[in-house]
Amino acid sequence: MVADGSNKLDPRLTTEFCGLPLASPTVLLSGCVGFGEEYTRIEGFSNTDVGAICLKGTTGKLRHGNSPHRVYETPDGMLNAIGLQNPGVDTVVDTILPDLDFSETRFIANACGSTIEEYVYVTKRFNDSNIDAIEINISCPNVKEGGVSFGNDPDMSARVVEACRNVTTKPLIAKLSPNQTDIAYNASRCIEAGADSLAVINTMMGMAIDIEKRRPIIGNVQGGLSGPAIKPIALLKVKQVYEVARKHNVPIIGQGGICNATDAIEFLLAGATTVGIGTALFYDPLVCIDINRGIGDYLTQHKMASVRQLIGALESP
Amino acid sequence: MGKENRNTIFIDEGQVHAIREFPDQQYIMRIEAPKVAAAARPGSFVHVRCDPKIPMRRPISLMRANADAGWVEIYFKVVGDGLAALSDTAIGECVNMLGPIGNGFSPNPESKTQLMIGGGVGIPPMLFLAEHLNSDPNYDWSPVVFMGSESPFPFDLKASKIALNGIPSDATGCLPEMEDCGIPSRLASQQSYEGAHKGFVTDLAAAWLLANPELQASTEIFACGPEQMLHAAAKLASEFGIDAQLCLEEYMACAVGGCAGCAVEVHGPNGASMKRVCVDGPVFKAREIYLQ
Ligand SMILES: Cc1cc2nc3c(=O)[nH]c(=O)nc-3n(C[C@H](O)[C@H](O)[C@H](O)COP(=O)(O)OP(=O)(O)OC[C@H]3O[C@@H](n4cnc5c(N)ncnc54)[C@H](O)[C@@H]3O)c2cc1C
Ligand SMILES: Cc1cc2nc3c(=O)[nH]c(=O)nc-3n(C[C@H](O)[C@H](O)[C@H](O)COP(=O)(O)O)c2cc1C
Ligand code: FES
Repeated sequence: MVADGSNKLDPRLTTEFCGLPLASPTVLLSGCVGFGEEYTRIEGFSNTDVGAICLKGTTGKLRHGNSPHRVYETPDGMLNAIGLQNPGVDTVVDTILPDLDFSETRFIANACGSTIEEYVYVTKRFNDSNIDAIEINISCPNVKEGGVSFGNDPDMSARVVEACRNVTTKPLIAKLSPNQTDIAYNASRCIEAGADSLAVINTMMGMAIDIEKRRPIIGNVQGGLSGPAIKPIALLKVKQVYEVARKHNVPIIGQGGICNATDAIEFLLAGATTVGIGTALFYDPLVCIDINRGIGDYLTQHKMASVRQLIGALESP
Repeated sequence: MGKENRNTIFIDEGQVHAIREFPDQQYIMRIEAPKVAAAARPGSFVHVRCDPKIPMRRPISLMRANADAGWVEIYFKVVGDGLAALSDTAIGECVNMLGPIGNGFSPNPESKTQLMIGGGVGIPPMLFLAEHLNSDPNYDWSPVVFMGSESPFPFDLKASKIALNGIPSDATGCLPEMEDCGIPSRLASQQSYEGAHKGFVTDLAAAWLLANPELQASTEIFACGPEQMLHAAAKLASEFGIDAQLCLEEYMACAVGGCAGCAVEVHGPNGASMKRVCVDGPVFKAREIYLQ
């Protein structure tokens, strides 16, 4: 930070993602930062410190979300079951996006749906807005097919991606669920269906029990596990997806438990182009400043000119 | 939401100046936090890192804030690992907090009496509000304070010399912090504590309202405490046809409005909607929370 409060990010952190120049490889993750302004309440936090911000999962119509409790700390992480509370895509596009300052960072929408038609509607609305890219959260349950998550089935994943691809020219990111057997195969199907990028990984399903009340703590019974607890899993999934994605030049937003520069560099080495930060913001809202600085220090130490040199630079054991 | 909320929540990391321990693992802690203290409002809270090994923060109400001296005071009762770790912090060690968070109470200047009902760890925001109103040079507020607790009160109780109409005869004790600045206060507990009414804190409030019919219409209730107590306070307000503001609790992750983890259903003029306890609350109108 310079004295006048404006940020001058280390130019070596500049990267490119789906044709968009980013000031830093750090991306704030969907569901953790509301619709882009919430963390700016905190003195010292600035949207200019991150490369991009993913907005809260957005559906066709307003959703109230799940009953409490919705969040709970677990060892090295947390469970969440928010239930996609959001005001609906029309409100997001018509009243929230116009208030965002697109000169500060890039904003990525997070599109959700219970049917393919809903995904398409949401994607289309965002396509006709000033949003920089659209991430499709394919982990949502498919109500027409018994509530099984779109993302756990490669055919359904590909169908959602293809349908959304047909209605947008913006960069399209498929956000992959780790709750499936062969993530690399799913990734290749999403790429064939037209995804420009892959976000790896979404949360893993888990639960917690209050033994005194003999009840699940999370109102929705199950919730998504995030934070450092899932980091080793996420890292492996990124590496597996990278094997496929690199052949198509498809960038990955690596995520799952990243809390510091070392974590971020691990994800970059495993093949991520950008690194997502979610749960770690709850620990330290200013964590991205440290991550940027730490990556810069690493580049200096290793005499590297750009963070891009780290992408997939993992050596064999 | 535009940029109007920018830079309204601060991060302070300051030394613990004092810790006082009370029975049942209750603690009052004074922590250096100049930015939080300068912006603190009654009903606002801080999101505290209890221990580096427990990375999620814990929400705790502000009980006192001294902007000139740059410290805040919190009062907490250990529930689990987080607050247990916080209670282990030694004098001189640092605590990292985010705050002040939330809208706090907004008493109506038209109301004549501000009836405060605090239960357990809901006592701190009530103390803050009472002391704040008492030192407000702009209005002549007249708070009346009722506190309930099932753990020994973390204050040196004394017999009250300020008369309060209609109060059960076993409620003789008061909080010296209140009494000394002229604010009437009384206590209640299901336990047999000397000077405290044996019963619910809301019984004291009901008795006072019944005995002061001329003040009923111009009274406003403020409450913070366990869910059942808030429910009883809301019921009381509705029975007497008066307004009440309740300070709620919900599990939190970010505490700055980002995760929607703390959302509760609120019933406004346009029907039900979800509001975040952290930044839309923690204080809500009783009739928006409990439909009577
Ligand atoms: C706005 C607000 C103000 C509060 N003010 C005070 C206060 O002044 N003094 C005080 O003693 N307590 C207060 N609480 C309650 C306090 O936050 C919890 O008791 C505390 O989080 C428990 O943490 P733990 O690790 O000790 O317990 P655990 O039960 O081990 O906590 C496990 C998880 O559940 C969450 N949790 C458990 N109970 C609560 C609860 N009642 N509210 C919110 N989260 C909870 C914790 O934050 C943690 O994430 C307040 C809560 C809120 C929301
Ligand atoms: C409270 C919370 C809400 C989330 N909401 C969404 C969401 O709406 N859409 C989505 O695609 N992912 C959502 N996620 C998943 C995150 O975007 C991210 O993929 C995941 O938390 C892993 O990263 P982390 O360990 O850094 O948090 C949410 C996560 C959390 C903790
Ligand atoms: S705790 Fe995240 S929105 Fe309130």
